[in-house]
Amino acid sequence: MEPSTDTPIPAKKSSQAEVAMPATDFQPAPIPKVSRYLSSTALRGLNRLGDVVCPGDNKDLPLFSTTDFAFHADRMLSYMYAHDRDGLVMLLTLLAWTPKWKIRALLWLSERHQKVPDYLGGIILRTLYVGLRGMIFTLYYSKLEDRNNQGEKIHKVIKWDATINPRPEDLEGASMYLGTQSGNQRTQSASLENPSAPQIQEVFSKAREANASLRRMSVAERLHYIAPLKEIILRRQEEILDVIQRETKKSRSDALMGEIFAVLDHLQFLLGEAQKTLKDQKIKTPLALMGKSSQVFYEPMGVVLVISPWNYPFYQAIVPITTSFVTGNATIYKPSEFTPLRGLVESLLQEAGWGSDWAQVVYGEGETGKQLIDARPNKIFFTGSVATGKKIMAQAAQDLIPVELELGGKDPMIVFEDANLDRAVAGALWGAMTNTGQSCTSVERLYLQENIYETFKEKLVAKALALTQGVDQDGNTDMGLMTTPAQIALIARHLEDALAKGATLLCGKQWDRQSAAIPPLILENVTSEMLVYSEESFGPILPLFKFRDEMEAIMEANNSPYGLSASVWSADKVRAVRVARAIVTGNVSINNVMLTEGNHHLPFGGTKNSGIGRYKGVFGLQNFSNIKSVLIDGNSSKIEANWYPFTREKYQLFSKMTAGLFSTSPKGLVSFAVNGLKLEGLSGKLGKQGRK
Amino acid sequence: MPSSQQNYDMIIIGAGCSGPNVARQLCQQGMKVLMLEAGENLNRHTYPTKEIDANSRLYWGGGIELNTNAALGILRPKVVGGGTIVNQALVDRFDDLALDSWRETSGVSFFNQKEMAPWYDEVEESLTIQEIPEKYRNGNAQIFAQGFKACNHELAPLKRAQKDCRFEEGNDCIECLAGCRIDSKQSTPLTAIKAAQATGNFTLVSNFEVETVQSKSGVVYVDGRNNLGQVFRYRAQALTLAAGAIGNSKILLRSGFKEHLPALGENFYCHPQSMVLGLYEQEINAHKGPLQSFKSNDATFRANSFKLENVFAPPVAISMLVPGLGKAHADVMKKITHMACIEVAIRDTQPGRITINKKGRHFIHKTLNEQDQNTQDKGLRTIHKMFEATGAKKIINGDFAIGLHLMGGLNMGIDPRRSVVGPDFRVHGYSNIYSADSSIFPNAPGINPSLTIMALSRKAAHEMTRSLS
Repeated sequence: MEPSTDTPIPAKKSSQAEVAMPATDFQPAPIPKVSRYLSSTALRGLNRLGDVVCPGDNKDLPLFSTTDFAFHADRMLSYMYAHDRDGLVMLLTLLAWTPKWKIRALLWLSERHQKVPDYLGGIILRTLYVGLRGMIFTLYYSKLEDRNNQGEKIHKVIKWDATINPRPEDLEGASMYLGTQSGNQRTQSASLENPSAPQIQEVFSKAREANASLRRMSVAERLHYIAPLKEIILRRQEEILDVIQRETKKSRSDALMGEIFAVLDHLQFLLGEAQKTLKDQKIKTPLALMGKSSQVFYEPMGVVLVISPWNYPFYQAIVPITTSFVTGNATIYKPSEFTPLRGLVESLLQEAGWGSDWAQVVYGEGETGKQLIDARPNKIFFTGSVATGKKIMAQAAQDLIPVELELGGKDPMIVFEDANLDRAVAGALWGAMTNTGQSCTSVERLYLQENIYETFKEKLVAKALALTQGVDQDGNTDMGLMTTPAQIALIARHLEDALAKGATLLCGKQWDRQSAAIPPLILENVTSEMLVYSEESFGPILPLFKFRDEMEAIMEANNSPYGLSASVWSADKVRAVRVARAIVTGNVSINNVMLTEGNHHLPFGGTKNSGIGRYKGVFGLQNFSNIKSVLIDGNSSKIEANWYPFTREKYQLFSKMTAGLFSTSPKGLVSFAVNGLKLEGLSGKLGKQGRK
Repeated sequence: MPSSQQNYDMIIIGAGCSGPNVARQLCQQGMKVLMLEAGENLNRHTYPTKEIDANSRLYWGGGIELNTNAALGILRPKVVGGGTIVNQALVDRFDDLALDSWRETSGVSFFNQKEMAPWYDEVEESLTIQEIPEKYRNGNAQIFAQGFKACNHELAPLKRAQKDCRFEEGNDCIECLAGCRIDSKQSTPLTAIKAAQATGNFTLVSNFEVETVQSKSGVVYVDGRNNLGQVFRYRAQALTLAAGAIGNSKILLRSGFKEHLPALGENFYCHPQSMVLGLYEQEINAHKGPLQSFKSNDATFRANSFKLENVFAPPVAISMLVPGLGKAHADVMKKITHMACIEVAIRDTQPGRITINKKGRHFIHKTLNEQDQNTQDKGLRTIHKMFEATGAKKIINGDFAIGLHLMGGLNMGIDPRRSVVGPDFRVHGYSNIYSADSSIFPNAPGINPSLTIMALSRKAAHEMTRSLS
């Protein structure tokens, strides 16, 4: 990546905002510009210290703070004893406010530790001398990754060229290990890519075996593998973000909030709720079945096939896999070919102690998905486009495989005149542009009540112009880029079509129809003839509409083949709830946007073309379960009244008992009891003697 | 996930130089062995390639631990393979001087050439041991040889446990200080661990740090936590402590063994080493080719309790040895390829000790007495003379000493008041807790310890199979 992408691109300076950013030129080893242990102040302290210890030579050797070395400090800090690390972090924080001459004096003094007796602080000086110099030199001379290759340059300057030249046989098997930018986590990955039919059979046979052992584990035992996963994701957050960004080209903040936070939130939900939800449930037994008891068991379905899209590749991997796992299923997971996050999911699960067959990853394109369905999983969980969803359902119908489809949306946002405007403007902008508009529940139609339309529009466009865009490493950028070329082309088509049919583009005019850095495109005068009116865009393009009253808003919102989510903004909660009920959709946020997904206890799913089924929350866990009904009776000699033989006498008694049971009068109950007892007696007799 | 219900015949704590050699013997006798290691399980594809990662990931404390007066840097490996991953694979038998002094100090009779020989033989047979061919000796080795010649000292070629370093293909051994990426160095994962695994009786759990151990009615319980902080308990018929001088001491101290074993944590030695850099006009390129080719073999050195080694270190380590800061320091670093390096390692006589505080944190008390200081000075003077004799422009004494042969703490002896482990390798008073690693050394031998650790481990395993089966 060019260093220029590191600097946010202000969309305001529209003439020069467009920076060529082809989809492929992302450097494989980005440097995380945040530290788990060092605050920005402590990082500043580290750089100050670094400048004193390694000031460079104004020629070949760089000044410490002009490199990215400080950002690699975690590679050292995370392995230190906590007490040492705490002290060091505190000291670095102090150094951030210490003038350089004082730092120099401190180091000068520490260098003379031999002359200071131990009881006068010699030990402290020595510790400082070794610790501070050691830290800086380690960062300076370790040939660390740097955007200007300074690490490599330093080794060149000192002519350090020690090497190992492995032969091909030494490298054999090396591809089994996934390297990461810091080299801190590597693992073996044996996942298949575009597998052959026999390989798919093998995957399924392993999955069935895995399911047999997962079935025997209690939910509590399964959660033993969820808790460490949460810890590992927290610990490896920066590395995971690097991989996500590399493949999706999201902004770092989008990736943090939409993938890491959301996944951890989900795991937390599982840890708190799964055991309660999935435990055997006592169910009411009606009077007619007196003496028996009823229960529901939540059991695994077997092998669940998860097919995921490219917009939230990490979230869409971990959430369905863990939900499926907690309910006891073995999972086969096929990521999108655009964002495979190759090896990442395997490495996380492996580190959390998962058996390798509990969740298997199979890489491939649509054809691979088709073959996986042919192998007859016990459930298909698909997230993606309507067109693919229909194909999957058609194929699944052949074998009656239950499907759950989480498809697209054209989600409306309705803002009434009494809504808090500034909040609604900010919400609309984020709702439409988050993940560069590549969310199934992003705002794709914005309905504004007519008397606030102009003000709202003005504020919205002004805010849109201030957004920054790029694939940043420090979280300081609003929007990322588009992930796939096909989606860029689709946005270009929607835009051209709208403009040709008379729509007005309020911002984003500078976009060249090709670059992945699509700025916010806000349109007005959009009519029902335009693609952008009815088709899902899945990008940062937002048409504005005016409405007169509540009725019109509801009608307009419902005038869509989709029904995934919606939002309603108004000070009048009664009205907002009324509108929420009237919209045909799966999810509604009131005075907020895309927030039902923010609560992992709420189910998620769509109506109409937006899909079938619900996942997440209690419903999600149940949806991955075979809900088994169990009725328990005693091992008595009793012959039930509804068993053979049937006789006229029995028919009459049954008739009377039925009338008694379902009548509303107290007399009826007596009649039920009397006839019930008689019936029982008769059934017993008939059962033993048989029909006479 | 490993189940605490599983019963093993033997739990071995530590997968370094000793543990795997015990494990191999036991597994081959059909015993079920569980090995617990605090470090990571790496291989030639995954050894770190940057110095920062090598230091942080392969050593305790993120690279270096300091003794209590911060004058000595302790390098304590933490990885499956332990010292055999990060060392230079020098394999030397102990001489009479070392074994006699051990016998004298400990009262243990088998410390003699005759009784140790079969165990040494066995170990040497299981490794590939080579000398560096003359033609590959690098500039640093040549300075070393010239210096020895000029000052009339005797040297000898080093024996290394290596298989095929292929120097003709441009391999520089200094890179392998973070693990050998071409599997030439005979680290235990390639030798003993492999053999143990082949039996099917061996389980290795890495990333697991043992905290305490206890022995109750013939069963040992081992408690600790993995790198995610999850707590586990393992149990077995017997236990072998192979976590090194500091590791073993720490575990037993935390487990309260000091109460009846007063010598626990005492008698700690570490062959304190000081590196000296000689700056030359010409390029030395000490980092190229084989890192070490020679050792001192001079009777007067041995009598004076020091030895000289032909070593070097990668840039971060060198930068820490070079005194000073800023531009002056950088100017020296720019001459790194013009540096020759000789190290003095002393046979320390002043025992140190390992202690823990209430929180279980350990402290390494280790100072040099006057005698040790003199020894060190003698060594340094000898090095200076050699550098001067070979035309060094400038001589720089390394900024601080390091200890990396970590020995003692559970010293072997016959007297339970003054030692921790008995001649049968059992901790005094325990029929099922063993140790055979460098922690049982009665004093500092003044010779690289790894071959002897392996030999003792084999001998111990032999004792174990006899008494446990």
